[in-house]
Amino acid sequence: MTQTEMLLKRLPNDIGGLDGGPIQRVEHDLEPWEKRCHALADVLDFHKILNTEEKRRGVEALGAEMVGALSYYERWIAAFANILFAKRILSPSELAAKMDEVAARWEAEPRL
Amino acid sequence: MSAHADPHDDHHGHDHPHAEIVHSGRPGYYEIMETAVRELLVERRLIGADEIRRQIEVLDSRTPALGARVVARAWVDPDFKERLLADGRTACEELGISFYDDTGLIVLENTDRVHNLIVCTLCSCYPRPVLGLPPDWYKLKPYRSRAVSEPRAVLAEFGTVIPDDVEIRVSDSTAMVRYLVLPRRPAGTEGWGEEELAALVTRDTMIGVAPVELTIAGAER
Repeated sequence: MTQTEMLLKRLPNDIGGLDGGPIQRVEHDLEPWEKRCHALADVLDFHKILNTEEKRRGVEALGAEMVGALSYYERWIAAFANILFAKRILSPSELAAKMDEVAARWEAEPRL
Repeated sequence: MSAHADPHDDHHGHDHPHAEIVHSGRPGYYEIMETAVRELLVERRLIGADEIRRQIEVLDSRTPALGARVVARAWVDPDFKERLLADGRTACEELGISFYDDTGLIVLENTDRVHNLIVCTLCSCYPRPVLGLPPDWYKLKPYRSRAVSEPRAVLAEFGTVIPDDVEIRVSDSTAMVRYLVLPRRPAGTEGWGEEELAALVTRDTMIGVAPVELTIAGAER
């Protein structure tokens, strides 16, 4: 398979059968925000706003570079935001404004 | 926060210092994004703030101890085992284990001829209602990529050597269908009660990367 053919036939998540190197037996307890992110995904699924398949495709649509560089739940929240934009449930500008507000709130009252 | 030890960083081992980092400094970019997305959805009344909290409680209530109960019951009750192998979800629900999602569950029985292994090559699908959330290694490229093509080598890296005359079957999970391995009951446990048996059954035995052993009773749980 040529390199460009491979790029089309093997999207970032489609790695079954490749040589991924030695098993890394790593685990960690989820950070609070990671657990909230997981719960958010489940709740969005309960409300039929975002299902598992959309979530997986949303992660894949981030592209190989981001899939490789972001952690698991970083990929998830980035994918959720993009999917919510595509569904016109949220807009990029209102998310940006809300993120500024959340950051400002933390600066005003650190650790809350 | 985004500087937390990342499971996708190929270079860190088991004892990386997450805990210290969690409580220091401002939230990272992606944590801020999570908070912002959640708050916007709550403001729009698309989801309830309480729903997130309740779902976190549900997630916290799911641990491999539930799967271990299912396995122990199957070992002592042949009729239950038959129902479990016929319809995993319904049999788990019979034990009071609810499924909070739309997934089906197929339970795969290990025998002296067949060893089962579960994986999700595309991402991280896992029998969460009965095992909780998957370990990082299950979600990382080496396990996902190689489990389907060289399961014996992968198992050996977990310290599990399967004899050549035992067939290895690898089941690749999907968004809608999840798998759970019913491991073999170890010899020497005749007459044991369900609770004692369940204490032997670790998460990794129900993924299929380890056998149930008397010597490691409960060590990974």
